[in-house]
Amino acid sequence: MKVVKKLLTNPASLAGIILLVLFAVVAVAAPRMAPPPENSRDPYMIPRDGFSTMPEGPSDVHPLGTTEGQYDIYYGVIWGTRTAFRVGVVITIFTSIVGLTIGSVAAYYGGWIDEVLMRVTEIFQAFPFLLAAITLSSVLQTIYGRGEAGPLMFLAKILALLTFGHNPTEQVDPIQLQILTGMLAIIFFGWMTYARVIRGNILAVRDLEYALAARTIGASNLRILFRHLLPNAVFPVLVIASMDTGSYVLTFAALSFLGLGAQRGYADWGQMISFARSWIPSLANHWYIVVYPGVAIVLFVLAWNLVGDALRDILDPRMRGKGGGL
Amino acid sequence: MLAYIVRRLLIVPVLLLGVTLLIFAMLSMLTPYERASLYVTDIPKRQGAIDGIIEKYGLNDPIHIQYWNWMVGRKDPDTGEIKGGVLRGDLGFSKVGKSSVAEVIGRRLPATAELALWSAVPMIGIGVWLGVLSAVHHNKLLDQVLRVFSIVGWSIPTFVFGLLVLMVFYARLGWFPPSRLSDWASRIVQSDAFTRYTQLNTIDALLNLRFDIFLDSLRHLVLPVTTLTYLNWALMLRVTRSSMLDTLRQDYITTARSKGLAENVVIWKHAVSNGLIPIVTIGGLVLIGLLNGVVITETVFNYPGMGSFLAQAALSLDVISVLGITLFSSVVLVCGNLLVDVLYGFIDPRIRLH
Repeated sequence: MKVVKKLLTNPASLAGIILLVLFAVVAVAAPRMAPPPENSRDPYMIPRDGFSTMPEGPSDVHPLGTTEGQYDIYYGVIWGTRTAFRVGVVITIFTSIVGLTIGSVAAYYGGWIDEVLMRVTEIFQAFPFLLAAITLSSVLQTIYGRGEAGPLMFLAKILALLTFGHNPTEQVDPIQLQILTGMLAIIFFGWMTYARVIRGNILAVRDLEYALAARTIGASNLRILFRHLLPNAVFPVLVIASMDTGSYVLTFAALSFLGLGAQRGYADWGQMISFARSWIPSLANHWYIVVYPGVAIVLFVLAWNLVGDALRDILDPRMRGKGGGL
Repeated sequence: MLAYIVRRLLIVPVLLLGVTLLIFAMLSMLTPYERASLYVTDIPKRQGAIDGIIEKYGLNDPIHIQYWNWMVGRKDPDTGEIKGGVLRGDLGFSKVGKSSVAEVIGRRLPATAELALWSAVPMIGIGVWLGVLSAVHHNKLLDQVLRVFSIVGWSIPTFVFGLLVLMVFYARLGWFPPSRLSDWASRIVQSDAFTRYTQLNTIDALLNLRFDIFLDSLRHLVLPVTTLTYLNWALMLRVTRSSMLDTLRQDYITTARSKGLAENVVIWKHAVSNGLIPIVTIGGLVLIGLLNGVVITETVFNYPGMGSFLAQAALSLDVISVLGITLFSSVVLVCGNLLVDVLYGFIDPRIRLH
């Protein structure tokens, strides 16, 4: 496809794609690159070499050093790649589905349905995103912590199935549950951009000639929506989705850093950096706690941003122009 | 223009109502026991006290009645007077803050406001300036460098940046410490010798003619302000750049150049004043950036503002405090956006003269 070719020739997006491929390789090869210890229950919990509270610098045994409590940083960075992909991709899938549904329905039906849905979208946008995510995260943790969550547990199980491959008939692991609350909170407040964009694009193409032509030859409304309108409206969504994946990973890392997302000792980059909070005066000596996971986050998010930015540049003239289909 | 402003004003109550509904929805996901904190004014001393509170304040009533009571206040069955209610500023009792949520906000807001005020000017000023530079030198080296800077800056988490600058400028060099004031300055500020006018350390220090405290305060602000602003530079750079690029393509710019005007005048007098119109809407983005950014920034720098309190409360699952602060912040955001939109109506001549 032309778009793919353009992505590969643009140096910035090429760099982004190469980075993403590298991260994907690391994620897949994690059990080989950082084998979990034999008796570990969950490979995502970083193994501890003793219990000393003093972080150790890079050494032969621990190539990237250890944090307080002797969690191996190398292990955490490698397995954290998997966490980052899972969290980022699953959140993006769900936010885009929710946003696309709401936006399509609003654009398609118009009238008061459109008005109501757009006001609802505005109300959700009135909340500063990080604050809203933190708020809902803490509410959900209180509810799940109680033990009887009803329909919310159902949501958590769906998410657990997709993120961790967890069997829905079993109880959700409490460690995973905390991560899921963070993800749910982000999804709940992250769909609005998709809704607005898809609605705008559908409205822009709805009255174009080929849609009218299709209607004239008797195509039903639903058919028009699926075969003609959605494909044209969906490309801008790809752009947003690729940039948003990076942004969701950033937000989730922030939640973990604050202690709300991944639990202490879980292989998540944001969580690992939160260990540095107790060592600020001597941070220059314990730089490895911040630098290694930090570089991982920056490169990961940068990769998604480079690809998304390039996609936007490629699709921009088509987005701005109101001319026919692709 | 009047029609535009009226339309914007009419949406605001709807938005605010919606915000309270959403907050209340999250609130009602808690059990009556957990919600009892809304009505506690002191740390409960007896176990049975909570049951009494649930009974007294109708936390088991039907949901729409609870919403009404929460918003408007409830008649105290003993005294008959109406007390509390969100509209009266009662947001409940904070477990972590050991006082009412409203009091906590009152205590912590000045620190956050000081940080935000000192950040807003560099954020907008430098971001816009960089964007104009980038657009004017479109596709040349400076533009490319700035674009790289923008996209890399956009990818760095706030807390990583904050910790890195702390590492270099505090742990290694000792130039700019975290927290709000040094111990010696704190002692003076809290003593009777120091008069509080605005609760903002920098302004008060100047008004008290204590330049040493003013400088100490600034010293503590350097790193948090830098952290808070750099991410927003990346955003502002990009928005300003694309707006300026559009403007520079316009016919009246070509006319101005062909009239023989100096390039400087063309850019700063004609292009920027028109190109900046959409940038006013950045005001809304700046506000969001600040409200979101202070949570992480204050936590990293141990800065005693509203943001770090929110983080603390969330960690302790003090949901009442978290909901209260989020409600407050959302109201601020809605009002801020309204202000920006009205301002935009005044600036954009197409709306003003319509």
